[in-house]
Amino acid sequence: MNRGYYWLVIALSIPAFIWLVPTLWMVSLSFQPNDVLARTTSSTAFGLVPLPFTADNYAALFTFGQTPWWFLNSLIVSLGMTLGVLAVSTTAGYALARLDFPFKRTILVICLVGLMVPEQAVFIPLYTMFADLGWHNSYHALILPRMAVPIGVFLMLQFFRAIPQDIEEAARLDGVGWLRIFWYIMLPLARPAMMTLAILTFLYAWNDYLWPLVSAQQREYFTITLGLASIQSNFAQSEGLGRVMASGVIASLPVVILFLIFQRYVVQAMTAGGSKG
Amino acid sequence: MRQGRKSYLSQQQSAWLLLAPFLVTYALFLVYPFFRGIWISLHDWNLLAVAFNPDAKDFIGLRNYERVMWGRNIEWGFTAPLLQGLGLIGLAFTAFLHRTNRLSRFNTIALGIVSLLLVVLPGFHPGEGGRWYDRRFWPTVANTVLFVGLTVPGVTVSALLLAAGMNRETRAMGILRTLFFLSQVLSVTVVTLIWQIMFSPRQGLIANITEVMGGTPINWLTDQQFAMAAIVIATVWWSLGIAMILFLAGLQDISSEIYEAAALDNARGARAFWYITLPNLRRTITLVVVLQIILHFQVFGQSHLMTQGGPNDTTQVLVRYIYQTGFRDSELGRASAMAVFLFVIMGAFSVIQFIIGREKDE
Repeated sequence: MNRGYYWLVIALSIPAFIWLVPTLWMVSLSFQPNDVLARTTSSTAFGLVPLPFTADNYAALFTFGQTPWWFLNSLIVSLGMTLGVLAVSTTAGYALARLDFPFKRTILVICLVGLMVPEQAVFIPLYTMFADLGWHNSYHALILPRMAVPIGVFLMLQFFRAIPQDIEEAARLDGVGWLRIFWYIMLPLARPAMMTLAILTFLYAWNDYLWPLVSAQQREYFTITLGLASIQSNFAQSEGLGRVMASGVIASLPVVILFLIFQRYVVQAMTAGGSKG
Repeated sequence: MRQGRKSYLSQQQSAWLLLAPFLVTYALFLVYPFFRGIWISLHDWNLLAVAFNPDAKDFIGLRNYERVMWGRNIEWGFTAPLLQGLGLIGLAFTAFLHRTNRLSRFNTIALGIVSLLLVVLPGFHPGEGGRWYDRRFWPTVANTVLFVGLTVPGVTVSALLLAAGMNRETRAMGILRTLFFLSQVLSVTVVTLIWQIMFSPRQGLIANITEVMGGTPINWLTDQQFAMAAIVIATVWWSLGIAMILFLAGLQDISSEIYEAAALDNARGARAFWYITLPNLRRTITLVVVLQIILHFQVFGQSHLMTQGGPNDTTQVLVRYIYQTGFRDSELGRASAMAVFLFVIMGAFSVIQFIIGREKDE
């Protein structure tokens, strides 16, 4: 480590701090009283230090307003979607990677083509379909469309392909059926890939905006991401800046915690998701 | 596991059983909606009318596409000298690079097509007494392209510089990477919440700092000159992380021996970056650019929540226009025609991405 290195760290710390400022500001504002914020947002150090301090905004969120309910909805939808995507992706990924059957190539190609269809290109027909079925304003309406996106299948397929053949062959010689091999041998091996896929799906579900916006019209079925959008357009008048910012912090908390704990997986998941879907 | 017993299911049966759950959801919620979208785009399909009476839709063939993209008395000429000139320069440049063999065939074709489109597309305009059937569609597409054109270079250049600086496995660098990546996990509504207030002329941090420095705060989100810039800034802040990580992964593949050899020739710092890092990262750069184009062409939340497409439609983008046409104006047919247009553009870039990705694997 030479002098140049320390200068580099210092030089990079400046943009890194600037990058952090907007998030920091949100957190800081959420801890300041609304009557102060109505006058000025730069009480102490441009408002970056929460003085005068109060936790009332958070207390208010949990006593009135629908934020806790939306938070719960997000949790249900995100976990449901994660489980669903894991179930269909591991099974299909394994079959496509390790088993032989007719039309395998055709199915692979059809799935590959599906990677090119963006959510924005199918949300109108999906809307009419779900409307015909009377499915809007429900959890399954928020969960099901994402289960059809083939990116998870390809993530799992790549992983299963890399597992050496002999493990399977040894089990076959012992007369173990394919489904058992999948369940007892392959799935435990696939934990890291499943983790990556789970995080990718959870982040997507938690942060998705367009589909919940069209599908969930009743406020009881809003996810936190959607709910936050609905209160931010008239933040100043109705709820007070501090409370809206507190909702923003609450809405970000799960994904930020997930990121800080499983940083390696999150980065992996987001780059895999970014580079393929 | 029980031993020495033949399994009940053959390999084929197991395969189909395992595939079935995915194939069913895939067929129902992706393949079918996709074709249904094309089907809707061929109809005069009003959301409310069809909801009350399923037969209240008329098959009108390609009329929706005409209504969205065409007009009366449309002519072609050199009426947008700036863009078309740029396209011509691009064509000449492509030809030059091709003659001197500095581009792969694939890059030549891509660059050539983009330049050609720049020459051809802006040249269409309504002639005398003519008009576009939909005055807002092409300006919306142009705004989207402008947004992509500003965001992608912004993200790519800053991510590349940061990644080059942080390409060391130390604790400090790890923390810095975390800080830059953190904003990436936030949802679009949190990002717009933060930046709406950051940009607010009365309460915003930016305005507060400008005032202390003696300037007059800019009305970022409601000023025609600055609204697009504001959205771009928020987006660059939001989506720098992935690009940075992809670049860091690309940098790991460049062996340190090359740098050591270059250091002997006195190529360090900026020179090493220019002569070694950049050429070796060419594939990664192309990949990141294409990915970002796909990602940012689908921009919706930033425009919808920060500026509501305004002021004066300057930040109206394609997905928001589709959403409004479909769900505010109830014109599902026209909205679907635009969605098909979006899919064609996205599909083209996805194919490019796929080809680049394949080259890497080989």
